[in-house]
Amino acid sequence: MEPRVLVVIPAYNEEKTIAAVIMKLRQIVPEFDRVIVNDGSKDNTRQVVNDLGEKQLALPCNIGYGPALQTGLKYALLQGYDIIVSMDADGQHQPEDAPRLVTALLTTRADMVIGSRFCEGQAYDTPFSRRMGQLLFSHLTRLFLDHRIYDTSSGFKVLRANACEVLVNGIFMDFHIETIVHLSLLNLKIVEFPVTVLERTFGQSMHSIASVFQYPLKTVLLTIAVLMDAFLIRRIR
Amino acid sequence: MSLRGIIFVNILSVVFLLLILNLVRTKKLNISYAVIWFLAVLSLMVTVSTPLLMALPRLIGAQYPASALSLFAFVLIFLTLIFFSVQLSAISARQVELAQAIAIKGLLAQEAEGGTADPG
Repeated sequence: MEPRVLVVIPAYNEEKTIAAVIMKLRQIVPEFDRVIVNDGSKDNTRQVVNDLGEKQLALPCNIGYGPALQTGLKYALLQGYDIIVSMDADGQHQPEDAPRLVTALLTTRADMVIGSRFCEGQAYDTPFSRRMGQLLFSHLTRLFLDHRIYDTSSGFKVLRANACEVLVNGIFMDFHIETIVHLSLLNLKIVEFPVTVLERTFGQSMHSIASVFQYPLKTVLLTIAVLMDAFLIRRIR
Repeated sequence: MSLRGIIFVNILSVVFLLLILNLVRTKKLNISYAVIWFLAVLSLMVTVSTPLLMALPRLIGAQYPASALSLFAFVLIFLTLIFFSVQLSAISARQVELAQAIAIKGLLAQEAEGGTADPG
């Protein structure tokens, strides 16, 4: 039996790009179901999604990327989906890569496949400060996995339902390295697969100047909290 | 501390306690938080008005009662702030859960009715 796949797309003020993402997904993978998680957008995202007749999880206020994605995962589990694809609404992720990532998940028997911008010698232009953070976190994954994850902050992921069950009640901020550490501590298999990521054409990145300092600190603290949690639970058991 | 100082701190504390009580009466302050502030003010009054103020510097190795009192106040404020951060985090987590539940129930209701478009 073919696995049921749901594409979860968190969106915040993406009225200019969301329609193209949806149309492309409809064209390339009509067999995948889709749900847009509208994270309290202030622009016309809600209307654009409605006009296209797409399923929409309309959050009454902005709760942030991680919790918005969690909403999609909760919905997927409630509806009994086997595989969940998470991708951005800004048009940077290519819908063509979604079926390739799902195939990679099935053939490698992994629990999570990360669509990577940096593995296999790919080049993706990111600001120096962010690149340094990514390098640091990337090397940190070696401590928990038998291989290195090159792109720890990719929003393009494919997960099995069992991995989602772990993540729906977690303390995850943006589903980055803390998620990788958490899943690997539970002996779930994580692999990376190269994808093409385009430059952002409309809107603003969620990474502001303040987040250059705030994001790494938050991620490090969360990762330590996840490790502490795993250590204490194992000790108690 | 001089008698005048003790009287001054006590009067200030009583005014503060009355303010807390009034906030509870006008439903602007939750009784659970009022208890925290009440205990904080009461402990300040007890420390200043009893020999504890003289014993406290010896206990923590401070030279002056004023420094011991400042440290005591700082620890109290620090603990209160942590308490409020925990409360805020709990409220924030509940808000997220509520928003998620509203969004999921909304979509499930639309699907049950046979439509996909959000009524807005």
